[in-house]
Amino acid sequence: MGATLSRDGDVDLSVPLGPLRLRNPVMPASGCFGPELAPLVPLHQLGALVTKTVFTAPRSGNAAPRLTDIGPGALNSVGIPSPGLDAFRARVLPAYAAHGTPVIVSIGALAVHDYFVIAEGLRAASFAAFEVNVSCPNLERGGVSIGADPHQVHRVTRGVVDRAGDRPVIVKLTPNVASVEEAAHAAEEAGAAALTVANTFVGLAVDLRRRRPVLGNGTGGLSGSGIKPLVLRLVWEASRAVAIPVIGCGGIATTADVAEFLIAGATAVQVGTATFSRPDTMRRMIDELPAQLSELGCRRVTDLIGSLRP
Amino acid sequence: MTIQPLAPETPARVVPVCLDAPVVRNQHVADRYWMLRLDAPEIATGVRAGQFLLLTASRTPADGPALPRPMAVYDVDRACGTVDVLYGVMGYGTTQLTTFRPGDLMTVVGPLGRPFEPPAGTTRLLLIGRGIGICSLTLLAREQSEGGREVTAVLSGRHRRAIIGADFCESLGLDIVQLRDDDESSDVGSVRHLLAGRHDPSPPDFLATCGSARLLALSRELGRRWRCEVQVSVEAHMACGLGYCHGCAAGEVGRHEESPLVCATGPVFRVR
Repeated sequence: MGATLSRDGDVDLSVPLGPLRLRNPVMPASGCFGPELAPLVPLHQLGALVTKTVFTAPRSGNAAPRLTDIGPGALNSVGIPSPGLDAFRARVLPAYAAHGTPVIVSIGALAVHDYFVIAEGLRAASFAAFEVNVSCPNLERGGVSIGADPHQVHRVTRGVVDRAGDRPVIVKLTPNVASVEEAAHAAEEAGAAALTVANTFVGLAVDLRRRRPVLGNGTGGLSGSGIKPLVLRLVWEASRAVAIPVIGCGGIATTADVAEFLIAGATAVQVGTATFSRPDTMRRMIDELPAQLSELGCRRVTDLIGSLRP
Repeated sequence: MTIQPLAPETPARVVPVCLDAPVVRNQHVADRYWMLRLDAPEIATGVRAGQFLLLTASRTPADGPALPRPMAVYDVDRACGTVDVLYGVMGYGTTQLTTFRPGDLMTVVGPLGRPFEPPAGTTRLLLIGRGIGICSLTLLAREQSEGGREVTAVLSGRHRRAIIGADFCESLGLDIVQLRDDDESSDVGSVRHLLAGRHDPSPPDFLATCGSARLLALSRELGRRWRCEVQVSVEAHMACGLGYCHGCAAGEVGRHEESPLVCATGPVFRVR
């Protein structure tokens, strides 16, 4: 993937992500994107595409209701329904691959060994990178406990890296920990090429009249612009703790948000919840980024990365 | 009660668009209900009865609500390029919707979902709606009555002012039955008795319903009694409206297979 200059030719939007070079730093967050968006989003212009997390076996997901919102935050407990590995290879992945944009395959599991089964099972498939989801808060078990334990993060990362061949392995960390640095270190030491910081924050919405959780699964994961300051802090801390690139993910809704995350230390960003209300969010960001860079006195996206002043 | 996806579509759905549509009007109508008219020719030309829109109630990307609100298309003026949405003010999101003034731009995505599909040869339709669910049936009422079919609209609400769509159906010259909680006419037993009495001699060949689990159960029962096709428009919380977020699975959680998504496979389903 060569460097791509923006339309006016004087601003370089491209960013390095391990061995990959993305045409720009804007990509969707796993689970908040699908090829169904092709009529509304120019998929060929995005920095990368990220699949919904795939599991070895089919999963039906959690009980309804799966979604609610509280002001600028969305709480979900979808529970990652998945068609399973075979259907993913046969039906899902080809739909992502058809747009000339690097595809990052998000993989998930409830047990450590299953991550290796998936990585192995995808060996022959064609895609750019793995994103290892060790951080979904809505699974029966595993997600949070794996991501919250640096030893498990190390084990899972090393095992996937060993089976990934030349493909870079990105590890998506959970924010539901006391120290994001420890998990970041563990993933880096195990051979991760990059980190995604972070996933949703565990939360609870209460139905006042019924005195029950609003969501069918009880708790859910909070996303949306309400969590932006929390994630900016995590990105800032994680990016200073490791030498590998960090992809910021959480509450990014505007071009200014993209710039803030880059300044805080992110090399690229993932956009999730914002796409629901405004499907053209990522396109706008890519269109507006050159002007945003100029306004900040930069000619390259890379000039902004980690430029937060003390 | 089982709901099933409709058979594969013919013709194929129009591709949805995302617009910043000018608000033409946004006014309180009655009780908790408001009428919103958007200037959205790209949607007005292709939308079919039973399809829905996602309305973004936040003014800027940093504001709430974080999720768009799925809304049925109440009516459409294809010549003027406008779509009407009748919404109930229930919480934060719909309260935000009331703040939009004529001339403001509202982000809208649509048309989305599968429309009602009355079987070929349908001549008599019975539409049974309650509360805000009536809004999923009004465009169907217009199109079918203007197509020369005989339409009966059963409209249920908490009290007289909470029955929506009565004026609309009256303007179409439909046969209307109004049901209210405050005079107990909406009681399911009475409704069963009333509809059986009215329609047993010449039953409808298509029944569409929305807005009430009790009326859905009754619709299913009447559909069996009359051997007619029954379709329901299902309501759900949604995020993407296109199927990729999987936020709106319709039914029971199976062990391996996800139940149909309301947004992509529905919102209109066949009732069995």
